[in-house]
Amino acid sequence: MYAYLLGRWLSQAALGINLESDRVYQGDVLKHLQALRLLVFRDLQIRYAGTWLGYLWSLLDPLFMSLIYWLVFTVILGARGVGEQPYLLFLLAGILPWVWLASSLNDSSRALITENRLVRSIALPRALWVIKSITAKAMEFIFALPILIGLAIIFGKSVTWELLWFPVAFILQYLLLVGIGLLLAPLTVLARDMKNIIRLVVRLGFYLTPIIYSVSDVPEQGQVLSYLNPMTGIVTLYRAGFWPQGAEILYPLLSAALWALGLFALGLFFFKKIEATVLKEV
Amino acid sequence: MDNVISVQNLGIRFNRNRKRKFSIREMVLQNKNTTPKGSFWALRNVSFNVKRGEAVGLVGANGQGKSTLLRIIAGVLIPDEGKVEVNGGVAPVIELTGGLKSDLTARDNIWLVAGLHGLNRKQVAEKFDEIVEFSGIGDFLDTPVRHFSSGMRVRLGFSIVTSLDEPILLVDEALAVGDAEFKMKCYNRMEKLLKEGKTLFLVSHKEEDLNKFCTRGLYLKKGQLVIDGTLKEALEAHLKDQGALDD
Repeated sequence: MYAYLLGRWLSQAALGINLESDRVYQGDVLKHLQALRLLVFRDLQIRYAGTWLGYLWSLLDPLFMSLIYWLVFTVILGARGVGEQPYLLFLLAGILPWVWLASSLNDSSRALITENRLVRSIALPRALWVIKSITAKAMEFIFALPILIGLAIIFGKSVTWELLWFPVAFILQYLLLVGIGLLLAPLTVLARDMKNIIRLVVRLGFYLTPIIYSVSDVPEQGQVLSYLNPMTGIVTLYRAGFWPQGAEILYPLLSAALWALGLFALGLFFFKKIEATVLKEV
Repeated sequence: MDNVISVQNLGIRFNRNRKRKFSIREMVLQNKNTTPKGSFWALRNVSFNVKRGEAVGLVGANGQGKSTLLRIIAGVLIPDEGKVEVNGGVAPVIELTGGLKSDLTARDNIWLVAGLHGLNRKQVAEKFDEIVEFSGIGDFLDTPVRHFSSGMRVRLGFSIVTSLDEPILLVDEALAVGDAEFKMKCYNRMEKLLKEGKTLFLVSHKEEDLNKFCTRGLYLKKGQLVIDGTLKEALEAHLKDQGALDD
């Protein structure tokens, strides 16, 4: 389970933040990993609160979103040329990661506020509160993958070795989201209007990211610009298994990796810097 | 003797402004947030050491930095100056009910909170019955905590945190809660923990509680450590200052 290994590595990184702080905490990585596991489990437990309907909803939500766009673009507008075929599968492969991003930004930016009682009473590395919301949403993303697989089977879509880019995209998106979360969570504590900005950016970002279209639909001179969007590369990587990119994969890969690693590092650095200030306001 | 808590030149600054949060608009229009202006030192130049097994009472009027100090030792606040070293785990009897998740049952909460404090599965399983028994929640074990009365929540929280078996116990006015019977149970548990050689750091306004457990006293006044001596000395200094106010 690479999510587990990734979690271990991340909590080590998160621990690194805490080790340098003035209080020498003797805790070890294992304990923090356990805390991460418990918190993620608790989040999912509350989300799916006993019934199967909760789980069903997280499948239906992206599915219906995809159906609506499919209806609008292919049936109503008759735009056959947009994206790839089958268009419904193409949409879903973009919408699922987007739902993960949108829900992660929403939850992780408020993580320190919603969990403030725990933040104020338990000396866990503070980054853990951000990491746990993203990890819980990552689990929901993974749980929703069966509809993508199901749809691919229904359409008889053959896959290629480029499906290997899928887990790469997953890891890069995870790092990207943790990085953004570590930036947003402290800012949201200090300036409550962050949540409006985030909502706006997520809504606009949906259309600026090649989800309902692909990068190749963008006019030539705009294609390079579109890689300035952190999600462009990642979405393209997710889709590479179904619609092979060949050597073309270089740009999306480069863009995705640079964004993910860059924002992850920036997030860690910023969070460490602002942690003491934020704790006073939590 | 080894110090379990070592505090050197500790200082922490808070904002005095009533409006603690700043808005984006303010940042943009004024080009800078207004925070540093109204800041004050909640604690400054505080230094002391606590040895293993000591029972320290923290004395002072409201707003003199007692809880802040406790929270820095608990590791949930980061000081602006100085250094705090804590050797060994801490059981923070602070914001007891805060850690409980109201959507989850008491059972799930015990697993969660004990786990977050670092107990592994086996340890929680071992202590589970004891926690349930001590909290006295009985038949409500599988009831979501949101249906609990505030007293029951505190009892559950107290039971979990004091079962952690950590060498250092930080208590913030938690003893004042619960009915007479539970209070008695709390006292007994605290005494038991002290006998086991745990280190106690107690914040309280109740002389009765302080006298019961503590031998050493720290008196905080306006963020400064004024007295570091016996509990009696600390209490007397505190009383004297209060008397001076009354006159």
